[in-house]
Order: sequence, then C-alpha cells, then structure tokens
Amino acid sequence: MDECTAAGIHRPEQNDGRGLERLVAAVRGADSSEALLSSTEDLAASGDPEAAPVLVEVLGFNNPGAAVAAVDGLIRLQGAAVEALLQLDAENYGARAWAVRALAGIGDVRGLELLVDALGSDVAASVRRAAAKGLGNLQLAQLPAPEQERILQRCLQALLAASADGEWVVRYAVAVALEALASRLQSRGQPLQALLAGLRSLDGDRDGNPPVVQLRARLALERIQQSWV
Amino acid sequence: MAGPPNNSPEASPSDEQVGAPISEAEAIERLRQSQDPSQQYYGAWWLGRMRSQHPEAVPLLRLALRQRRPRDLGAGVEENAVARNAARALGKLAPLALAVVSDLLEVLEDPDDGLREAAARALGDLRAQKAVAPICRRLASGPQQAGAPRPGTPRLMEPCEALLEALGSIGLATEPVLAVVEPFVDHERPLIRSAAARALLQLSGEARWGAVLVNLLEHPQLQVRRAALMDLGAAGWRPALEPIRRTLAENSLKLMALRGLVEQGSGEPSQPALLACMDELL
Repeated sequence: MDECTAAGIHRPEQNDGRGLERLVAAVRGADSSEALLSSTEDLAASGDPEAAPVLVEVLGFNNPGAAVAAVDGLIRLQGAAVEALLQLDAENYGARAWAVRALAGIGDVRGLELLVDALGSDVAASVRRAAAKGLGNLQLAQLPAPEQERILQRCLQALLAASADGEWVVRYAVAVALEALASRLQSRGQPLQALLAGLRSLDGDRDGNPPVVQLRARLALERIQQSWV
Repeated sequence: MAGPPNNSPEASPSDEQVGAPISEAEAIERLRQSQDPSQQYYGAWWLGRMRSQHPEAVPLLRLALRQRRPRDLGAGVEENAVARNAARALGKLAPLALAVVSDLLEVLEDPDDGLREAAARALGDLRAQKAVAPICRRLASGPQQAGAPRPGTPRLMEPCEALLEALGSIGLATEPVLAVVEPFVDHERPLIRSAAARALLQLSGEARWGAVLVNLLEHPQLQVRRAALMDLGAAGWRPALEPIRRTLAENSLKLMALRGLVEQGSGEPSQPALLACMDELL
C-alpha cells in the first residue's frame, strides 16, 4: 500500500493537489472491499472539500463499510459536502439512503427538503430514523428570524406526522428530534403546544408505543419543562 | 407482490409489505380458503404480525397448524410452510393462543424439524411452562447428538437454537433445566453457544453467561455478532452497554439490543445512560 494512505497519520502534503489526486486514485483503483474501505477512510481523513464528490460516489458502491467511512468524511466537511450530496442521482436508492444520513449529520438547511421527503416516504426505517434526527438538528443560527421560524415549522410538521410511523425506532427518533426542536422555538405559543402534544402522544401506549419510546418521550417532556424553570 | 418463498424455513414477508395493507377480514378470509396455500401463508403471517385479536384467528390458525404432512420441497408452497407460519403467528397471539398450547406441543414432536423449530419459538413466546419438559427431552442427548450436524444439510438434528431460546423465554429455572442447557455453551457453532448463554443468563442471571455473549460481540463473523446483540437484548444484560456500542454491526441492531437492555434489564448502567447511547446511534 502507498505510504500516503497509511491510516491515522496526518501528512500536510496530502492537502496539496497531488496528495488529493493520489487519495482519489486509490479509491477509484481499489480492487477489493478492504482496499476500498481503507482508501475511503484515508480520503475522508483528508478533510479536503474537493474530496466531497468522490466520497459521494463511494455511497453508491454498495459497500457498507466504505459507505460508513464516506458518510463520516462528508459530515466532517460540513457545508462543503452539501452540494455534492444534493446532486446525487435520486434513482440510486442505496446511495440516497447514505446521503440522507450524511445530510442529517451535517444539519445544513439546504438538506431540509430531502430530509422531510425521506422521513415521510423512505421504505427503510433506518433512513427515516436518521432523517428524523436530522430534522431536529438543522443549523439555523445564521438565518434571519422569520426564515428560522418557517423552517422550524416545516420540521415540526414533518416530525409530528412521523410520530405515527409504523416502526418504534422512528418514533423514538421523533421524540429525540422534538426535544431538540423545542429549545429552538422562539415562543411558547401554538407550535410549542403542538410539539408537547406530540411528545405526550408518544408517552402513551395508545398506538402500541413500546416502553422505550414512552420513556424517551417522558424524558424529553421533563427536560423541556426543566428548561423553563 | 411476489408470492412467499417456497421452502425457506425463515421465509416471511418483509416488514415493509405492511405498507400495502390488507384488512383483518381479508387476512381471515385468505387463511380460511384452501385453494391457494400462498394466500393462507400470507394470511397467517398477517394475523401474527398485527397481533390480531379476531375471534376466528386462533381457531383458523389451529386448523392451518394441522394442515401438515411429510415435507415435500418440490410441491410449490408446501403445506408445512403454512403450518410453520401458523405456529409463528400463534406465538404472537397471547392470551387467546394459550388455548392451543397442546396443539403446539404436538407439533413439537413432528418429524419436520422446521416445524419443531417454529413450534418451539411459539411456545417460548407464549411462555408455556408445559413445554419445558418436552423441550428438555429433545435436548437431553446434548451437543453430540441433539446438536450433531444433520448429514447433507446445514441444520442440526434438533433445532437447538430455537429450543434453547424457548427455555430461556419460559424462564423455569430449575436445576434439571440448567443442566440440559449448560453443555450447549461449548457447542462448536457460535450461534448455538450464543443461544445457550442467552438462556442461561435469563434463567440464572449469572454474570459469567453475560461474559460469553460479550465475547461473541468480537467474533469475526458479522452474523455471530448480530446474534449476540439480539441475545444480549433479549436477556436485558445492561453491563454490555459499552461492548454493544463498540461492536462492528449495524446501528439498527444495536438499537434493538439497547431497547432490550432498557426494557428487560435493571441496575447499572441506568436508564439515562442507555437512552443517551441510543440517541447517539440514531
């Protein structure tokens, strides 16, 4: 293996153009599952924004280990990874599922529509779960207040709709996301009341909520109330 | 929608198909008719998945359970596939299904080991104490006989995994039961070791069995690590929190295991620590 791709060793020269080229070439030339994983880890560790489109490519390679490493790398790139993620081919289902996880981890508002869509309609519970968590964690501080309110409303509506999801783990994620959202609502008006009602419904066993979902919703309600004191 | 797979004992429609639902009445009708076994198969699965409390569900599933015969893998959806799904569904239909425990005990003696497996799981789900003695009889010859490979197949002479897990679920922790289970902790197959350790942990609560499962979380095969995750969750073994977080497996399975630690377990680490770890894995 090329000495530049030894994992975990930081080499400043990787950040010049040639270093990146070599890392990209290692990913594209990988001839085994292990080689793809280690070269993806190295590319992800580079922290170079130019790596984003290649990491997005890896999401479509049907190699879960490498995809996890690519998602980690994309989350590390934060906003610099978003455009590449949004340009992803919507037909490639596997890649899209990983992209949802990356966007959920990044929390950039440009991912809002994709996360709302994934939470409402993705067939895989693991993707809906990640999307729910992401909707609770969008970074809004830079936006003007009215825009923040609009986006929070959109997140709230999507999460409340998903509180009736068929899978417990998605409802669990909704409870976590609603708690995160509560601290960011500006007033204690109608939206907050709707949010609390959503958590209270998850704290009941009416819809077959298992104990773990009820416990998590109750914990969220307690923490929200403590934050008011 | 494609028909159910023909002859895999593990076959069941994926959970995602719940999205295109049929009504309870429709599921009952599909099970009642006898022209098309694949429809019966689906109807039986649906009633279990939805935990139907329809008054006709258990009687019809009982009929389907009787609709069995020597295995014939060439015959399309073989009838035992319907019986297997009926057994699995009955396992989910407590308390109504407690009325048909004796039928399931009969199936536990069927020559078809796939059916014995389904019956054992159902009896475990129903926590049927009457099943303990017959299950112990099936396992009594130990790993060398009950646990010997069945020639020409990947299976064992007895469906050991299901039988062991059922003993753990039923929870009758007597000396003779423990003595039957314990030798299987040294079985050559890691999945059997995992099932035995799970049962012993559920029955005795002894930390040494938890340690066996935690060690299996580092097994090189993903399939074994997944089984150990499910077994730690079923036993609610909270000391496994950190090893569960660290093991190489899908977050979905770690979350299921941690749900088990929250719901089935007690003591340290406490609930808030478990929930915080789950939040991280979403």
